[in-house]
Amino acid sequence: MADTPNQNTAPSVAKAMEGKPVEPSFAKATEGKPNAKATEGKPKRGFAGWWQKTTGEPLKLRDKIVLVVFAVVFLFVFYVSLDANKYPALVRVIAGEGAVGVNPTDRALDFGDLAQGTSAVRRVDIQNGTFMPVYVLVWETGSIAELMDVDKKAFRLGAHEGTKIEFSTYIPASAAVESKFNGRVYLFKIPTFGL
Amino acid sequence: MNPVLKKSLKIVLELVIYVGIFGGLLWGLPKGLSNYLKTPYPMAAITSGSMWPALAQGDLVFIRGEQTKETIAVGDVVVWRGEDGKGFVIHRVIEMREDTFITKGDANFTDDEPVGYEQLVGKAIALKNGKLFHIPYLGTVTTFASKQLQ
Repeated sequence: MADTPNQNTAPSVAKAMEGKPVEPSFAKATEGKPNAKATEGKPKRGFAGWWQKTTGEPLKLRDKIVLVVFAVVFLFVFYVSLDANKYPALVRVIAGEGAVGVNPTDRALDFGDLAQGTSAVRRVDIQNGTFMPVYVLVWETGSIAELMDVDKKAFRLGAHEGTKIEFSTYIPASAAVESKFNGRVYLFKIPTFGL
Repeated sequence: MNPVLKKSLKIVLELVIYVGIFGGLLWGLPKGLSNYLKTPYPMAAITSGSMWPALAQGDLVFIRGEQTKETIAVGDVVVWRGEDGKGFVIHRVIEMREDTFITKGDANFTDDEPVGYEQLVGKAIALKNGKLFHIPYLGTVTTFASKQLQ
């Protein structure tokens, strides 16, 4: 059995079994040009391997481009969200005519206690200390958003420039006394990259 | 048929269908609503906070037309037209008189001037629980679109 050449064996190996010198051709097959079929089946490592294992298909160039674009967009959004200024905003409705309570702090957009028909204004200084112009977007959330007005909701801020954003809250007649309105204000600074 | 030509024709046909659907919705929806609600102004975009919290700025409400002194009551939210024929107001009826009615925005401190019944355009559609039927933010879109078209 040991002398019977395997039909699947490569010709060079078969020749070796017949007693002919085969070293050069054998060496060529293993060291020179690797057999394409032999390497194709080899499991890939890292992300490409994981991708192939998960999807059942090798990672194509198109997939790589989509993944890179997705990663760049994700990182950009992540950076902008992380870099955003976040302020808690709150106001309490109190009884009385024209009564304005004093309760503001500089850490939050605290409008204090306001009576129906009164309003209060808070200002936020914003400085662009970078060399790149940024696009500033103001986003209000929560119940106070319906009562609060912002003088500038979206604007461009040049490099090393600063400005003030004015937030005003008005308490209408239909706001119940002792009710509290709160929320958050986000200031997103989106780099324009010269656009 | 040439496959490229066939593909191009297919794209053109799809485009025509989509434009047709979009145009149909854009033109047909207001027209259909107008007929159903019996008013040339079936929708209203809220442009101020005077009706807060019942209606917020940017809401879109639906208006039922053909309203008279007999069909409206105190507490109803109605739309009326200014005497000059320009501008609409959507406020709540707080008092009904013989020839006029008085409205007031929920968030306002003062009442509106008396309005003649002939100025009445319609009544905002309310749900069974009494709350006004409105679509948040859609009014902002329609207001923006109408400003761009002007």
